[in-house]
Amino acid sequence: MAEEFEPKIVAFLCKWCSSAGSDLAGVSRMKYPPNVVPITVMCSGSVSPLYILSAFNQGADGVLVSGCHPGDCHYIEGNYYARRRIALVRKLLQYVGLEPQRFQMSWVSAAEGQKYTQVIQDFVDTLKPLGAQKKLRRKK
Amino acid sequence: MVNLEELKSEIKRVLGEGKVKYFIGYRRSTGGLPAAPFFMKETEDVERLIWDPTCIANLTRFLDDEKKRKARQKEPDTRPIGIIVKGCDSRAINVLLQEEFIKREDVYIVGVSCEHSGMVDEKKLAAKMKGKAVAQVDFAGKDNFAVTAADGEKTGIPAAEVLAGRCVECKVDYPVVRDVTFGEELARSPGNAFKSVEKIEAMSVAERWDFWKEQFDKCIRCYACRSVCPMCYCDECVVDTINFAVTAQTGAKEKAQKIKWIEKSPATSENFFYHMVRAMHLAGRCVDCGECERVCPVDIPLRFLNKKMEKEAKELFDYDVGMNPELPSLVSSFRDEDAEDFIR
Amino acid sequence: MEKILTKQSFPEWIEKLSAYKVYAPIKKEDHWDYEVVEKAVGLDPAYGNAVLSPKKIIFPQREVLFEFGSQTKEGFDLKENLPEDEAVVIFGVRPCDAKALTGTDKVFSGDFEDPYYRKRRDAATLVGLSCNTPPSKNCFCLSVDGSPFSKTGLDVLLTDLGETYFVETLSDKGEQLVNAASAFFSDSKKKEKKEVEKLQIDAEKKIVRQVKDVKSLPGKLKEIFDSSFWDDESLSCIRCGICTYLCPTCHCFDICDEVTCEYPLAGKRVRTWDNCQFPDFTMHSSGHNPRPDKASRLRQRIQHKYNYFVERYDEYQCTGCGRCIGKCPVGIDIIEVLNKVNEHGA
Repeated sequence: MAEEFEPKIVAFLCKWCSSAGSDLAGVSRMKYPPNVVPITVMCSGSVSPLYILSAFNQGADGVLVSGCHPGDCHYIEGNYYARRRIALVRKLLQYVGLEPQRFQMSWVSAAEGQKYTQVIQDFVDTLKPLGAQKKLRRKK
Repeated sequence: MVNLEELKSEIKRVLGEGKVKYFIGYRRSTGGLPAAPFFMKETEDVERLIWDPTCIANLTRFLDDEKKRKARQKEPDTRPIGIIVKGCDSRAINVLLQEEFIKREDVYIVGVSCEHSGMVDEKKLAAKMKGKAVAQVDFAGKDNFAVTAADGEKTGIPAAEVLAGRCVECKVDYPVVRDVTFGEELARSPGNAFKSVEKIEAMSVAERWDFWKEQFDKCIRCYACRSVCPMCYCDECVVDTINFAVTAQTGAKEKAQKIKWIEKSPATSENFFYHMVRAMHLAGRCVDCGECERVCPVDIPLRFLNKKMEKEAKELFDYDVGMNPELPSLVSSFRDEDAEDFIR
Repeated sequence: MEKILTKQSFPEWIEKLSAYKVYAPIKKEDHWDYEVVEKAVGLDPAYGNAVLSPKKIIFPQREVLFEFGSQTKEGFDLKENLPEDEAVVIFGVRPCDAKALTGTDKVFSGDFEDPYYRKRRDAATLVGLSCNTPPSKNCFCLSVDGSPFSKTGLDVLLTDLGETYFVETLSDKGEQLVNAASAFFSDSKKKEKKEVEKLQIDAEKKIVRQVKDVKSLPGKLKEIFDSSFWDDESLSCIRCGICTYLCPTCHCFDICDEVTCEYPLAGKRVRTWDNCQFPDFTMHSSGHNPRPDKASRLRQRIQHKYNYFVERYDEYQCTGCGRCIGKCPVGIDIIEVLNKVNEHGA
């Protein structure tokens, strides 16, 4: 039997909430799929669309951007800017014909280790039937 | 109607008084159409100025050149430059003002109204003329153009048949920022301003991908779309192989660590990357002057891409591009009620 | 060898060429582009010229020179990547574009022969199509030692006689192509030869645009190198790459490493087109740019084509196809510029 497809997810996690949330999941020994390459950024608002497109270009099957809940941003309003920008990136990716499920955003606070594992689990489950992302991937 | 003689005497007056350094307008190109950008320095140059439906180029792109030229000079001439703008071009000026890329006093703006018709699409006209060479196109009353063929034959053509795509979907066809206006400022309703985009939105995911793949695979990366764009004024673009911010003080390590986001090879993935990055950078800034699409030598419908971002800006955030230079720009602002239904 | 081929037989001829990879101009939205022929059809009578000349096949925009891997005891693991042995035939080549390739041949086969270019060039058979009417209103081949019926660089030249093509083979490669389907070709008569001659005279009359006094240009260009003329002429230039990328004679390139894996090291050394109108073309790593503005870049383009190349190879690096004029977003017209050069200071 062929080995089951394991999607590779690049997750941009903000340092103050989502990254801490993923730490909590880790130290609490919660189980979740090991398909994520987490990249800690200072704020979800600092995630340039360039990072997202580059992740797909370098072969990510899915990209996640995760930050603090509205109102909780360490920099007061970074996640609000992110919300707007990510909405546009998302629309653009869909518009050029990338499967909409491949790009997601979530709010995960430092206390939500459980939610983090759920977000990842669900993301992996949605990505598996889609197979590898070859559209925007650079040919080796 | 815009009276060309009045337009000329205004420009002559301004040049004659030495109020501006030079004046950018249009002249007849050797090929007849479209009109070529024309830099007038002396009052006698103004005689060659034209204003007709071939004046499609967005001249505000040259404001970037002027700014960079000034930055290089030790003692620059700080007088403003004069410029002729149409409705769409004037919105580009508004965006540049909004971003504080230029100051209002840097430009003396002569606005011209397109008065309900608009600019001619060279390709549509060529198809309409069935290969017959065109020497000149003139406005001929409401919604009509008078076309003079190279052999002297004159025909009238309904404007709607040869209008550039941007003009068909134009919302404001008169200048929104100007020092003086020629022609009438008439309200206009284009009906559905996003018709072209909806055609692609209606496709399935796979169809959309096939459509854009076919388009972007044609790209030869001449960067004419970027070069002609008044908004693409960055010193250094993501596609450039060299760091333009280098100076004699820049160390070897810093140079070596320049991130190479994108390969120079015109492959599918790289072409998508380039055009998507450009679309993102133009979100909320693109005024739909349509120049990128016009200049593309391989006919990539770039307006469809940038127009999509304009549509989203309007629908998601109720943002109109280039209408008010006082407002913060699209991606440097937010509202509490911005949609977040897509976020978990 | 001079033959006649009926237009009905033309697709059948293409089908006989299964030993070749066949390219022909294919209609896109508003332009023509050379593509591999999947289904043989006749040449569209509406065909003018392709947006990119056959340069894009002989000297592709991207060429992988070699692949590299990690260092071993024997040195770096390198694998040369010469083009495949594959005979190519290109139909519908306009005489100006074929002539352009003979200029590029000199560049890539001088003191150092470029094996990548050479291999592709030798594998290609060019089937020309003479221009009974100028494909573009900006054609000016007559000014630069060309002609709408020029045979330079071609292997076969077809001339459209309405129902038939007048076929001239001009090289061994060309003869092979005709011999591959000799049954379709009949011998030509005097009358047809006469007709071609008449068409040529008519076609030459139809070319209206010309560069005046082209012989004096190299000298003139030398004189005005430092002139402010270039500042004025380049004011409207937007530094895009259309004029050079679409030019059939422009051949500048860049070489980059495309690293596909940092560790263990793997990647490709790639040659891509590059172009003197981009500001980063001449940028030094120190930050100094010897051609810092649009004026010096426009000057370079004109000087290279009408001065430096003439000095070195005794021919113009321009064949008068008119692409750079027709596609320039801001109407910079090389004929206008050259005529101004000639008048300058007169």
